[in-house]
Formats: sequence, C-alpha cells, structure tokens
Amino acid sequence: MSERITVDARGMACPGPITKLVRAYRKASPGTLIEVLATDPGFKPDVEAWAKRTGNEIVELAEENGVIRAVIRVTGKK
Amino acid sequence: MERILVLGAGTGGLVAANLLASHGYPVTLIEKRETHLFQPGMLWIAFQGHNPSRYTRPVKELIRPGVELVHGEVVGIDLGERLVHLADGRTFTYTTLIIALGAHLDYDSTPGHRELVERYGDFYSGASAAEKMWSHFKELTSGRLVIAAADPLYKCPPAPHKAAFLAAYTLRRMGRLGSVEVHLALPFLHEYPSEVIARIVAPKLEEAGVRVSTLFTVESIDVGEGKIYSLEGEELDFSLAAVIPAHRGPTVRMEPGEVLDEDGFIKVDKYRLNVEGYDDAYAIGDASNAPTSKTGVTAHLGAEVVVDRIMGYDSRFNGRTNCPIVADGTASFVISSYDHPPVPVKFTRFKRMLEDLFIASYWSSLMYPERWAPIFRAYFNATDPRVISGGW
Repeated sequence: MSERITVDARGMACPGPITKLVRAYRKASPGTLIEVLATDPGFKPDVEAWAKRTGNEIVELAEENGVIRAVIRVTGKK
Repeated sequence: MERILVLGAGTGGLVAANLLASHGYPVTLIEKRETHLFQPGMLWIAFQGHNPSRYTRPVKELIRPGVELVHGEVVGIDLGERLVHLADGRTFTYTTLIIALGAHLDYDSTPGHRELVERYGDFYSGASAAEKMWSHFKELTSGRLVIAAADPLYKCPPAPHKAAFLAAYTLRRMGRLGSVEVHLALPFLHEYPSEVIARIVAPKLEEAGVRVSTLFTVESIDVGEGKIYSLEGEELDFSLAAVIPAHRGPTVRMEPGEVLDEDGFIKVDKYRLNVEGYDDAYAIGDASNAPTSKTGVTAHLGAEVVVDRIMGYDSRFNGRTNCPIVADGTASFVISSYDHPPVPVKFTRFKRMLEDLFIASYWSSLMYPERWAPIFRAYFNATDPRVISGGW
C-alpha cells in the first residue's frame, strides 16, 4: 500500500491550499498519495494546473458539501 | 504588581510598548539586538546601494519614557507559570505578555543555502547581508541574477517582485540590463499568489525587463556550479542569486508546546490575537499563525488591537494587509483582509507618493503610534477592501 499524507486546508483562502500542498510535496517520496481537503473554490483549477505543470497525477478530484477533495500521486519526483 | 512584558523590538513590539507607555502602563521590552532594522530597507541597500544607516536605529533611541528596555535573548516562555527565561539565566514574570519575536529564517532546510548567503548575502538576512549583495550586484556586468524563494510562505509576499524591479531599474541606469538578465523565480502558480494581483504585476514585470518563472520552489543550491534546482524538477543557472529562506516560528522553548503549529508559529485567535487557551498572553506579527501576510503593517495593526484589548476595549484584528509593490516611480498595494481577497490596485504615481510617505513616517510611527493612528485609520478606512472591491 502507498504511503498517504493528508493535508487539511479547509477554511484557507487562495493561495493557502496550494502552499500547503507544495509543502507536503517537499516531504513526500515518489509514489506517495497526498490528499488535500480545501474549501476555496479556486483550489480545483489550481490543483489541476499544478499537477499538469509538475508532472504529478491526480487520482481523484471531487467536491462534496462544499469541500474539495484532491488525491495526488507523487509521480513527478525522481 | 502589574507588569506587561513585550518580547522583541521589531515593528509590532515597539508599537505595542510605546503605545502602552503612552497610556501609563508599566512596560518591559526585551530585545537581543542593539539596533532595529526597517526590513524593507534591505531591498534598497541590496539593489540600489542605499546606505544602511538610513534604515537602522539604536533600539534605545526608539523607546519612550516609561518603557524599560532589557537587553537579552529570550530562550523560553512558560505560559502556565507566567515566566520568560533569557539566555543569560535571568527570569521575568508578567501579568500580561506580548510575544513579538518575529520569524526564524531557516537556511538549513535547503542544501547550499547557507553557503549562498555567506558568499553573496541577500535581502532578508540583515543590513550587512544586504550590503554584501550590493557589493556583488554592482559588479555584475553579464549573466543572470536569480531572485527566488525556498518556500511559498515568507514575510512580505511582494518582496521578491520589489527586488526584481529595483535590480532591473539599477541595471537599466547602468546600461547593463541587456547583458544581465533579472530572473524572478516564484513558488506560485502565477506571478503573484493572488491571481488578481498577478494580472496587474505581470505586465509591469515585463515592461521592466524581468524574466519570470512560476512554480519554482527552491529545493537545493549548488553555489560552486551556479545552479538552483527546484522542487518541481527544473533548474536555473545563475551568476548571482538571492533566495528567500524558509520561515519558521521563533526559536524559543515554549510551555506548553501545543500552542505552536507545525512550523513553530504561535497559534492565536486570529481576531483577538491572544495565544490559544490563554487570555494573558498575545502573539503579534510574524511570530503568530494568524492567516494573513507576514508584514510590518499587520504587526503594527496587531499591536494596536492588543493594546486596545489590554485597555479593556473589544477590538478585533481584521487581517488587513497593505503590502506595497514598488515599481519605477509608481507603486501598487496588495490590499486584503480576512474577509476579502486582494482587490485590483493599479500602479500609480500617487500610490508611490503614499508609500514614500509611509516609509518617511516609519521611525516616528514606531515611537508615537497614537499620533499617526488617526492618519493611518483614515487611510485604512478609505481603502478598506470592501470599499474599493471594484478596484483602486
């Protein structure tokens, strides 16, 4: 099973959630799953842009009751 | 007997101590340094060759009668016992505590960073580091100057932009902008954390001749080879580089440890600024985890709120920011609050005049905050993000 890190960025406004994701990403080893919870509506396009630019894979991106949940697999690190 | 202890003589600590003294409270201010530095001054020292004496003053010349100044380094705070421990063994007790110890700059989490700062200086580590940066920058006749950050969380969010603008203007005046590239590498998706501000800043950077990379968070630096590597997998060659260090909370032993967040910042009620779980201890400015920008303005406004609360008023901090972005002859401000994202603020000459006035008023506003309060209040009310939400 992959290692999993959860980042709770609920209640944080832009660019808080991405900042938290970047910091979790720094500590994560390849293959790790990073789960981010955010309420900032800007997070959805931002996390997509971030994953595309950094070569990481979005495994899941869903919104439920105003909470955006993104699960990212670290594939951009050597 | 009542004793208010203020830890740290930065912007927040000095404003709090001087305001309390003006209201007749007994205040003790503890500071490890002999001199106070106007931190944005480092940008002007590093990239325009300003004399550091313009931006430094002895702490003892910045306090009013009624403030007792103690020279010493705080190493421990015990909130339960109401004790503050200094490195030399002295211990102080308090009835009310204001923690204004600023952020700790962490060079060691980025390989090569300490070597880079030791060799070239920067615009974050003090006046002498800024002078060192200038001594290298003014000799740069070709190659690339890289301005970057090791982490997306640092004080003064527009600082790297200002550094790039000032460096580019100096190079232009020297006739070297063609042969020296100014490269701003930012750890954000856009040219600024807020996309609204990014849309205003990006064309200005282009006009100034600054190259920009986004999503570039410095992971390691090879000083010998002149290369910076990013967390996102890219690299940049440099002839000269200044990297903003990662910021952490103040390096003091804190009892209980639960009041610190994962980065060592002190958890506060973001409106009342009291340390979580304590009504006799406050944290202001960079040291706190209040979810707003780490800047002198937020430290100053936070100090006013805390002094009001000590006096019995139910003042609340609204997270207001007013971060200036200085370009050539013009300026813009990043204006936001807890309840309002940054509003679009155009670069104008008038705003540059305002920013130059704020800088000119700095020393006086630290010593006599109550004299400046009505002027600042008028400015902050007139530019409340709700009032200018459509743009300014």
